[in-house]
Amino acid sequence: MNTELSSRERVLKCFRGEKIDRLPVFSGYGNVTVHGLEKYGWRFAEIHVDAKKMANMAASTHQLFGFECAVVPFDMGVEAEALGAGVNFYAHHTDVVYPTIASKVAEKVMDLDLKIPSDLAKAGRIPLVVEAIRLLKEEIGDRVAIGSWTLGPYTLAGQLVDIGDLAKMTFKKKDMVDKVLDALGEVIVEISRIYREAGADYMTIREMGAGPDILSPRIFKTLIRPHLEKVFAAIESPKILHICGDTNTIVEEMALCGADAISVDQKNDVAESRNKLGPDAFILGNIDPYMVIVKGKPDDVDNAVKEAVANGVNAIWPGCDIFPTAPKENMKALMAAAQKYGKLS
Amino acid sequence: MASEERTKEIINEIRQALINYDEDGVGEWAKKALDEGVDPFIATMEGLADGMIEVGELYNKKEYFVPELLLCSDALYAGLDILRPAIKASGRQSEAKGSIVLGVVEGDVHDIGKNLIKMMFDVSGWTVYDLGKDVPLDKFVEEQLRTDSEIVGLSALMTTSMVAMQDIVKKLKEKNPNVRIMLGGAPITSEIADMYGADGYAESAGTAVDEAIRMIKMLKEEEMERK
Repeated sequence: MNTELSSRERVLKCFRGEKIDRLPVFSGYGNVTVHGLEKYGWRFAEIHVDAKKMANMAASTHQLFGFECAVVPFDMGVEAEALGAGVNFYAHHTDVVYPTIASKVAEKVMDLDLKIPSDLAKAGRIPLVVEAIRLLKEEIGDRVAIGSWTLGPYTLAGQLVDIGDLAKMTFKKKDMVDKVLDALGEVIVEISRIYREAGADYMTIREMGAGPDILSPRIFKTLIRPHLEKVFAAIESPKILHICGDTNTIVEEMALCGADAISVDQKNDVAESRNKLGPDAFILGNIDPYMVIVKGKPDDVDNAVKEAVANGVNAIWPGCDIFPTAPKENMKALMAAAQKYGKLS
Repeated sequence: MASEERTKEIINEIRQALINYDEDGVGEWAKKALDEGVDPFIATMEGLADGMIEVGELYNKKEYFVPELLLCSDALYAGLDILRPAIKASGRQSEAKGSIVLGVVEGDVHDIGKNLIKMMFDVSGWTVYDLGKDVPLDKFVEEQLRTDSEIVGLSALMTTSMVAMQDIVKKLKEKNPNVRIMLGGAPITSEIADMYGADGYAESAGTAVDEAIRMIKMLKEEEMERK
């Protein structure tokens, strides 16, 4: 190809299955690094509660290394907070500690009285995320793909109530869980619509709480998949389903959820998944974000990309958030490896 | 006193009820065990603990998943609540094995794995100092020093919180080189456990059960050797 594609074009064309020069390097979730934090002199704890900081940090990995997207938010508390859960931001911490849910909406599924705000666009930090997306769109949106994400219905339920009780209830009171997931599915659809309207180019739904590390493939099929199908039927493309852990036993189920792409982590045997799903399936992921990108040497990063491409991924995409302490040289190696192994024409 | 045959039957019923996550069944058979004079220590070890080992195997074979493990855990505690006071009364607690400090590291509030580990040490007669979840790094070090525990178990469900473990292991080993450290959680691999300098690891709720048993056995053998 003669003309150089912008990152945004490369990512969007990639999703549409159009001809591109090489595989893009991007992801559906956080990719902030300490190098970005240093550049601005901010602490990790600050960037979840200020739209401008959130936007700047989301753009920083693109600016520093050429990573081909900017994704907000960074923590898994946004949706739960909008529904009444309390989030701990570790405000005084100087290290990288991801926000957690400090107070659940209810301990037990049985006691969960879901109060869904009539205007989700005004609930919790959703307006803040929307503002961050708008800023990103304004500043780099013409050339860099803007991504956003929400948790999937089951994983979100696990933020609202005790996950142990939730897991037991999938077994003992399936109908009760089913109702909760139905309501949360609608919340996710609405938040996705709000993010897309603000300028997000693609959405990832992260349902990591429902993978085979926790629930049986049978429960995934009968209880989880129907809700994911409803969610994906109602949100705009491009849309990705991400589940981490040992997903080998459910990749076929994942592919049936209606997302344009499935995203898996390093525990998934991508060659086998490719084999199961066929040449047309869109498979993302599997670069180990910690052992390779943080703890590995640049050569390990190079090898991981080479292997992932050989196994049949459709983009260079880490299996989870890029952990902020990823060394500069590894981020550079990640980008260089894409040039080396990702060429398509 | 129950006959040998009846004792076997009762223990088997406890074990089967546990495996079938039948909380009421475990409770009923544990009561029968006491009523009929079965040694509560034997009923605990061969009924509850052995039952849970089988449950762990079912998890490893991917027949059971986390919901089943948790239901079995509830059943186990139903039995333990009945049998433990009787063990104490019988004076068998002098066989108490040692103690472990357990907690979920700061930045993580998921405690399923930690609770399963706790259960295996509980049922084996260990003293468990449970720090709960979202536990700051220094708290593990302080609690180990305060209690002089043989083992410290650190748990994290997410990669984003696992990274703090490296510092905790380092600090613990600095203060007390003999302490055994066990790491648990979905992102943990043998590679990571080695790199962090831990003595044991479990990457899933089911292997947490296995790993707890392995640690308990290992320390028991070491103690025997010293004697």
